[in-house]
Amino acid sequence: MKRITSSLTDGKGFDIVLIAFPLGFLFLLAGLPLIYNVVMSFQEVDMFSLGSFARPFVGFKNYIDLFAQPETWPILKNTALFVVASIAGQFCIGFGLALFFWTNFPGASWLRGLFLVSWVMPGLVVGAIWNWILSGDFGVLNFLLKESGIVDGNIFWRSDPTFSLWAVVLANVWLGTSFNMILLSVGLSGIPKDLFEAAELDGANAFQRFWTITLPMMRSSIGAIIALGLIFTLQQFDLFAAITSGGPNNSSNVAQYWAWDLSFRQYDFAKGAAISVIMIIFVMFASVVYVRSTRHEVRG
Amino acid sequence: MTESFHNRLMFVIAILLAIVYLFPLYWMYITALKSGSEMFATPPSFWPSVPEWGVYAEVWQSRNMGRYLWNSMVIATGAVVLISVLGTGCAYVLARYRNVWVDIGLFLVLMLQVLPASLMITPIFVGFSQFGLLETPRLAVILAIAAKSMPFFIVLVRATFMSVPMELEEAALVDGNSRVGAFFHIVLPLARNGILVSAILIFMQAFGEFVYSKSLIQAIELQPASVGLNSFMGPNTNEWNKIMAYATIYVTPILAIFVLLQRRIVSGLTSGALK
Repeated sequence: MKRITSSLTDGKGFDIVLIAFPLGFLFLLAGLPLIYNVVMSFQEVDMFSLGSFARPFVGFKNYIDLFAQPETWPILKNTALFVVASIAGQFCIGFGLALFFWTNFPGASWLRGLFLVSWVMPGLVVGAIWNWILSGDFGVLNFLLKESGIVDGNIFWRSDPTFSLWAVVLANVWLGTSFNMILLSVGLSGIPKDLFEAAELDGANAFQRFWTITLPMMRSSIGAIIALGLIFTLQQFDLFAAITSGGPNNSSNVAQYWAWDLSFRQYDFAKGAAISVIMIIFVMFASVVYVRSTRHEVRG
Repeated sequence: MTESFHNRLMFVIAILLAIVYLFPLYWMYITALKSGSEMFATPPSFWPSVPEWGVYAEVWQSRNMGRYLWNSMVIATGAVVLISVLGTGCAYVLARYRNVWVDIGLFLVLMLQVLPASLMITPIFVGFSQFGLLETPRLAVILAIAAKSMPFFIVLVRATFMSVPMELEEAALVDGNSRVGAFFHIVLPLARNGILVSAILIFMQAFGEFVYSKSLIQAIELQPASVGLNSFMGPNTNEWNKIMAYATIYVTPILAIFVLLQRRIVSGLTSGALK
């Protein structure tokens, strides 16, 4: 007994206690739901069997039904489009801003930090603001676009099926740009300055220096940031809830919103679980890429 | 081109970029102060002709915002306390050792960090309803948020612990401290700032959390401000000045905390997120 208590206060036992509770908690509230999700996707779940564990197994029926629905492929296509467009926008603007602030004039780091306010704002508030900016008749974005002669008439961002997904992409790019910029700034500041001085002495111009030094030196940062972007973009839910609710007619629906919609609007928990399983496998794949690309940093 | 002129030019461009980027935020503050007719005027005015300051009190009253914000506060505080108590120790152990088990633990923690909340809510909802946790919906949301955000906290705080020199702890052990004593008297105080910044980040996230609250809390009097904002925005709403007033009241405290602690938050974030 004495050995156990002394181990708890002064040995490995202390570490084990410290780590056992959080890992146990995470297993209960994140690991088990994950497993339960897979189980549910093979079961028949309705409002009546919600309270019991013993539900009939139906094999792959939920998955087959899911892909028999006409909206499934368009929604998956929307998801891919949303992810690619969001990451491209966030990354390009973020990289541009990071390079700009990298020149390190007085006040640069303070102003750069100011950009992060978008990242700390609740997603639903960001969605509400963009909902109002993108409004068809009275939105300020339409006004600015018309004044600058880019478009002739009002674009109905939220209710026109050709634009509804892009409305959310626009808001998401705004939301994620600052985070990309900050992480890319960290990567940029890790490049030794003398590399650039040497290249400059050898007569390389700014474009050549960017292409042959900055980009190759940033390779692992860029890999990590794109993987993180994929992870964050697939987590984006609030903007859909606040701007388009997936409509009109699923034209701006994506898998992560649809999974919730199936479960909590249509009470089809089994199909919601099935689409969740598919997406989670996909996200896990992305996170393996992320963990691999930061592995040497993880080891410290 | 002299050095100082160049610096000034860059500063002006940076200010312009910040103005363009932060325009949506400005538009929220301005719209809240506009009258019903001015809001829908074409061309839109970029400065309210007669600012209506009464809108804040009116929205606070009519939407019962005190209750919503209190619920957000309860949920965010509960989640932060739970995460800090459990996550700090975990981060400490993961920072202290280097072996295969730590790598595996870290990998699992990172994997849990990436699961989208809107995909995890289906099994959490069904599981919680079976265990009767939906009877106490705010506690259910706290637990769900804690499971979702703890990995992020662990990653950030682990980076903080890594920067505390191991020699200090060893010296304390040689001087006769127990492991518990060294942890609470040496390591924890040295890592205090990093833990605090991470806790603030988690608090701000939990304060704006939406998916779990929307799905798990049915009773209006227990819902947080994010759900309140969502139900305020009907599909055909035209009360945009009031919605923006609501949003202003909701985010201004968060923004104030952020601007005050900006430098620390940014450095805490950058040291943890990529390393």
